[in-house]
This record gives sequence, C-alpha cells and structure tokens, in this order.
Amino acid sequence: MVSETYARGSQEKASDGLIVKAISLLAAVLVIAGLGYAATTGARHKAALATADCEPNLSPSGLQCTTVPMLISQYAGVTTPVTRQLATDVTAYAANERHSLVAARAALTAAATSESQLGIGLTRFPFPPAVAAIAAELVRDTDALARLTAEQAGSASLARMRSFNGRVQSASAVVQAELRLMAKALDVRPTVSEEP
Amino acid sequence: MATTRGYEPGLLPGDAFDTWDTKRKPPDDHETERRSGRNRVDEWMDADFKFGGSRIKRKAVALILLGAPAIAPLFFMLPALLTLNENTFSVSVDDTLGTGAEICLFLCLLVTPLVTLTGQRWFVPLRRWYGIMMACCSIGDAIAAGLTDTFAGGFFGVVAGHVFELMGFMMVLLVIPLLITGNPWAQRKLGRYWKRLHRLIYVIWGLLACHLMLLEGFGFQQGGTDNGSGHAGDGDPIFHQRFYQYSAASLFLLTLRLPPVKRWIAAREREGRSWLVVLTITPIFALFVFAMIFIINEEIFKGIDSFTEHPSSE
Repeated sequence: MVSETYARGSQEKASDGLIVKAISLLAAVLVIAGLGYAATTGARHKAALATADCEPNLSPSGLQCTTVPMLISQYAGVTTPVTRQLATDVTAYAANERHSLVAARAALTAAATSESQLGIGLTRFPFPPAVAAIAAELVRDTDALARLTAEQAGSASLARMRSFNGRVQSASAVVQAELRLMAKALDVRPTVSEEP
Repeated sequence: MATTRGYEPGLLPGDAFDTWDTKRKPPDDHETERRSGRNRVDEWMDADFKFGGSRIKRKAVALILLGAPAIAPLFFMLPALLTLNENTFSVSVDDTLGTGAEICLFLCLLVTPLVTLTGQRWFVPLRRWYGIMMACCSIGDAIAAGLTDTFAGGFFGVVAGHVFELMGFMMVLLVIPLLITGNPWAQRKLGRYWKRLHRLIYVIWGLLACHLMLLEGFGFQQGGTDNGSGHAGDGDPIFHQRFYQYSAASLFLLTLRLPPVKRWIAAREREGRSWLVVLTITPIFALFVFAMIFIINEEIFKGIDSFTEHPSSE
C-alpha cells in the first residue's frame, strides 16, 4: 500500500508542483511590482500634493499633507456632536424654565457639561497657526459660557434662573459666531503672507 | 488530516479540503509520522516555567501575547462608546471595527496554513480566539453603522439598503451562529454537523471579497485615482485599495488550502527537501505580509484617530 501511495504521489507530483510554482511565480511578480511601485511613491505623492487640495502648511499633526476637507472633518468631529447636544439641552430648558426647577436645572447642567466638553475639544484641536488667534478667543469664550451656564444651573429659583437668560444668550451668540468664523477660516486657504 | 487530529474547538474548521483529501488518499508514512510525532517546538511550548511562585506554560504566555492585539479594534472604539460620540461612530467605525474584523478573519484563516507549513500545533487555539474577535468586531461594526450611518431607511435601510452593505450584513448574519457554536459544548452537541456549519467561514471570506469590491470598485473608480482609503494627497491609490489588499493576503491563505499544494509540500518534506518548500512559498508569503502591513497600518492609524475621538474620514 505504501508503494502504491508513493507511486500515485509521484504521478501527482508534476501537476501539483506546476500549480504551486505558477502561483509562486505570480506572487513573486506581484511583490517585485509592488516594491517597484512603492519606490516611486515619493514622486507620486509630490504630484498628488500639487494637484490635490492639499495644504502642507496645515499640517499640525505632522502629516505631510493635511487637506482642507480633512481638517474641516476633524473640526466638525469636535463641534457637531456638542452643538447637537446643546440644541437639545436648550430646548429642554426653554420647555421647563417656567414650570419645573428640577428639570430646568438638569437641562442647564447638561448644557454646561456639553459646553465644557466643547472647550476641552477645542483646546486639544490642532489648529493651524493661521487661525490660532481665532481659536484662542473661541476657547476662552466657550469656557466663559460654560461657567455662566453652570452658575445659572445653580440658581435657587426659576425667576433667578431666568434672570441669567439675557447674558447666557449673548455669550452663546458670541460662541456661535466664532464657531462659524472658525469654520469659514479653516475652509479658506491661507494667504501667501500667512504661510510659514 | 483533520479527521485524525485532536480537533481544537474554534470558530473555523481545520480545513475544508482536509476531509476531501483523506477520503481519497490513504495516509502515507510521512503524514503518519507527522501526526504521531510531536514537533519539537510544540514540546518546548508545553514546558512550564516559574513565575512568581507558580508554574506557567510557555504556550500560555505566547498565546496571550499573540492573542491580545485582537482586542485592539474594540479598545480603539471604547472612548467613543463611553462618551456616546455619534460622530466618531459615524465617521470611523467601519474603518476601525470593519478593518479589525478583516484582520482577525485573516489571522483566523492563517492558522491552518501555518500548521501545514511548520507542523506545529501550539498556536491552534488562536484560531478560536481570532474567530471570536472577528465576530465581535463585525457585529459591532454592523450595529454602529446601522445606528449612525447617514443612509436613509432606518437601521435595516442602512445595513441592507446598498449592495455592499447587504454583503456586510449577510456576513454578520452568518457569523452569529459561528459565534454561538464556537465552544466545546456546542461542538459536542452538534457532532459531525459542527464542522460543516463552521465551514460557513469560507462563505464569509467570499462575501468579504464582494463587500470590498463593491465598496471601492477596482481602484480606479470614476476614472480617478483618489479612491481607496487614502486621500488624494498620499499618492498611493493602489496600496490603499482594500480589495487589492484582500486579494494579496488571500492568495497565501487559499494556496495553502489547495489539495495539490498540500500534497506537493508533503512530498517535498518526505524527500527531505523542505528548503524547496520554503523557497517556493516565500514569495506567496511575502505578498501576504506586504498586504497585511497596509491593512494593519490603516487599522492602527484609524484606530488611534477613533480612540482620540478625532475620527479620520479618509
């Protein structure tokens, strides 16, 4: 039986070997082609930088190329969830500011937390140098808004709570205007004089 | 071969072709020797060593070290889960958990070829572990995508409304029974049907090809070179094309499962010409490594972006 098996094994050897060698050859060609392609990555990268919407000066994270859409996407990642949550909190506060102190306080506490999160997110955000000044103002005003909202949430009565409304709305309007300004500033290419 | 092996419980059957092979061909002397004889590395791995007053098997340490990275995709998404950051889930869950599931699938499928090539079996338990992590990542990906993606139609509209999503959803549906039965108890209860059921992993492997193919086309979608997972600026639309990565990695995994290839390897080893096996398989393995480098690289970068909750939409 062993000899029979061996004989059959010998018979199969040629075609078996052909298959594995053909696949091996294909793989070798692909690996060599891949290495050759990889060797020209630098040139392709430069060409892509020249044609794509890339801004090498918007590279706070050390990437060779940060496109404007990438930066805006990251910025939206920080601001969008918080602004959505804030809209919900403000609606909840507006619905309860005359009826329920507990519910209004809960809504404002949630809003203050969201504003703090926004401040933290903005502080950590790798803003490019061109928008650093706007970013600093935005962070400062967001923190101020968070403190004011927390103070409002700590009010002992609904009347006292409502007395903060004007100041909070003004502070909120400032932050919203700065957020819009930042989004616009990130979207606009820096001028030649702003480039490092 | 698998019919005479002490079968390790796992999500993946040993090899769909093993049974086919043994039914037609009586085992030769070499195979008998390989089955009965224990590999020296296996013996070394089975030895204990002293650690803090207790004795631990070397194999246990090696398995933990090799298995731990499979948790990384879920770990990367943890901050977004704890803070319920919808944006991070919406933007990068498919890249982080989806790619993580792909890596775990490939690692799961890698076990059998490595057993064929090395004759070692100490790492076989990893097959089950990688399979479980693949299932967790893919289910997590589907749930998060269904809840946070911007496609219309609610949860099922999102997961089944586009053909590529439908392929992914079918993979998740198929992986659920494998996850449920991926334990020794289910293996005992299902008996011979267990292995047949777990061959579904090969269907999942095929569906992944369709999913990736439909996701990004063939690398030159709309005549441009900016598809794939990289942005236009990186200049690498080929290497970052997920279907190409999949194909390059799968060639090795598929080749080492082909009966003629396994017969050829066994014959060369019987002749004492293992060097020829190494020489022939090296380019195929190099292509696998080449592809895996790009897949793992993407997982690490996208995963870190997700972990810091600054998801990359690349």
